[in-house]
Amino acid sequence: MNIFLTLYHYELKKILGRKLVWIALFLCIGCIIFAETGNLSGNYYVEGEAVDTHYHMFQVDSAYQRALSGRVVGQELLEETMSAYSKIPKTAERYTETEEYQKYARQYSDIFQIIWRWIERNPWYEGWQAEEQSLYDARADRQEEAWTDLFLSDTEKAFWQEQEEKIDKPFTYYYHEGYGTILKDLDTVGILMLLLTAVCLSGVFPEEHMRRTDQMILSSAKGRTVAYWAKLSAGISVSFLCALLTGLAVVTVALVIYGSEGFQTAVQLYSYMSIYAYPLSIGQACVIAYGVFLVAAVLMGVLVMVGSELMHNSIATLALFTGLIIAGAMFDIPAQYRAAAQIWQSLPMSFLSRRGIFSEWLIAAGGQCFTAWQAVPLLYVIGGAVAAAAGAKIYRRYQVSGR
Amino acid sequence: MKLTIDRVSKQYKNLIAVDRVSVNLEKGVYGLLGANGAGKTTLMRMICGILKPDGGTISYDGIGADTEAYRAVLGYLPQDFGYYPEFRAVDFLLYLAALKGIPKTQAKRRAEELLELVSLQNVRHKKVKTFSGGMKQRLGIAQALLNEPKLLVLDEPTAGLDPKERVRFRELIGDIGKESIVLLSTHIVSDIEHIADEILMMKDGQLIYHGKWDGAKGDLEEFYLQQNA
Repeated sequence: MNIFLTLYHYELKKILGRKLVWIALFLCIGCIIFAETGNLSGNYYVEGEAVDTHYHMFQVDSAYQRALSGRVVGQELLEETMSAYSKIPKTAERYTETEEYQKYARQYSDIFQIIWRWIERNPWYEGWQAEEQSLYDARADRQEEAWTDLFLSDTEKAFWQEQEEKIDKPFTYYYHEGYGTILKDLDTVGILMLLLTAVCLSGVFPEEHMRRTDQMILSSAKGRTVAYWAKLSAGISVSFLCALLTGLAVVTVALVIYGSEGFQTAVQLYSYMSIYAYPLSIGQACVIAYGVFLVAAVLMGVLVMVGSELMHNSIATLALFTGLIIAGAMFDIPAQYRAAAQIWQSLPMSFLSRRGIFSEWLIAAGGQCFTAWQAVPLLYVIGGAVAAAAGAKIYRRYQVSGR
Repeated sequence: MKLTIDRVSKQYKNLIAVDRVSVNLEKGVYGLLGANGAGKTTLMRMICGILKPDGGTISYDGIGADTEAYRAVLGYLPQDFGYYPEFRAVDFLLYLAALKGIPKTQAKRRAEELLELVSLQNVRHKKVKTFSGGMKQRLGIAQALLNEPKLLVLDEPTAGLDPKERVRFRELIGDIGKESIVLLSTHIVSDIEHIADEILMMKDGQLIYHGKWDGAKGDLEEFYLQQNA
């Protein structure tokens, strides 16, 4: 064990001694901070004229949203919302630019958006009659449509229906902008983290061959066994650390800027997950998402290192994984090719997104159904262990020839 | 203490790098001579277990070259070895000591001894990237000796050493050869003449000479040049 720890220490020192690792990490964290604060900078223009600053608009809107915190999204609040919006003249080209909107309706904007999402049409323009039951029925209709579009099986539909019944309704609204931002950022920070891992770890094994230090390592007693696991563990630690730091950067910046209240808000009140049929709060969804993010970082670390040992070339490894990450972010397999689409979506480069982690596609095992966020991290652990074992075999068999 | 090399061969595509080499080595210093491409480095890599022979076997006291027990008694200085530029000299040795399975306390003591032996004790906390070629070579020699090897394989060990260091190195190898099997390859025939108890000469992958060399047999360099003409 002492030998392993000593080797682990030196392997860690080798990885962290590379300037590239620190440059990539700081760039990544810089991008996160810039992306978070960038939304609040600059002015809001109407017909070429600056009418407000984004920061001031955020302050006003968040004050209104905070004022609604604790209110039930039920008949009373829906009537208030529609009553406020009914004051806006129907003749307005853009209702948000009217005085009536600013004076009466803006404070209900978040509730109005929820209604709009669920009934799938503009409630102000359509003159929607506030009615709690019809609103929640409309949400159920949206769920059915989504499940059909996703080609869910009857078993899957029954599973989601059962989960849906466990959700407390009507929902209670709380200000939740901080957690919403954390979830939104997952789509971007997931790709950044995967790229960061590929940059940091693609050289761990090939550099020994390039530097020709492999001859001394492989001819030493522990060079073909303990050294591999020490290297792999050090690489995994670095990928985990990179993910932790980028994840912490997102969480810290989002909660500092947007506030930490609203952890208990039903995730169904968050715009992107309004029809998600699982009893979760938005805070729990964030914990799940960033937990999966850390597990995916470990798997990616293992895959990059094993891939680099297979190719013996850090540039080729980096190119391959960068290509895969970009492909994962850009391309989707249509839902009608269900099995292929689900496998593609479960790969780290596609999975690290709200759509991937909170997918409605279930994984069945042992007569039970599991959600993506329950099953895929476990598959990552198993996949990582298999890849690591395969890597050990490749490493052990390496022959120093040529040169 | 016996290194047995039994009909060992290695082929790269159409080139036979090592062709059915058989030799038994016991305690002492063996000089391996041969022109570039004669198969010296390939043979040494196979002896060190980092290259698998296509045919034949290599063992030390019956222990196969592909085992951890074999590598535990082995010390190896590759011809063109790399280093970690950001590591200090002492870290480099402690890292290699861990790879050789030497416990930390023992490794620290041994690293200090060896740094003194190769006259690097004053720069032990300096980064390896600041070292000259000769200093790096001495550090390489030190790492090969970390585990007090019973089988020491040195590929061109005197490359980069100045004449004074070369003399010190010869003395050191002479001492180690009293207790261990030392196999060293070099282009410098005079080094072999001064250190080696026996000569091994390779040409086109084959062992063309194995035995002691004394003045009565004539000039070794002349013989070597004749064989490689």
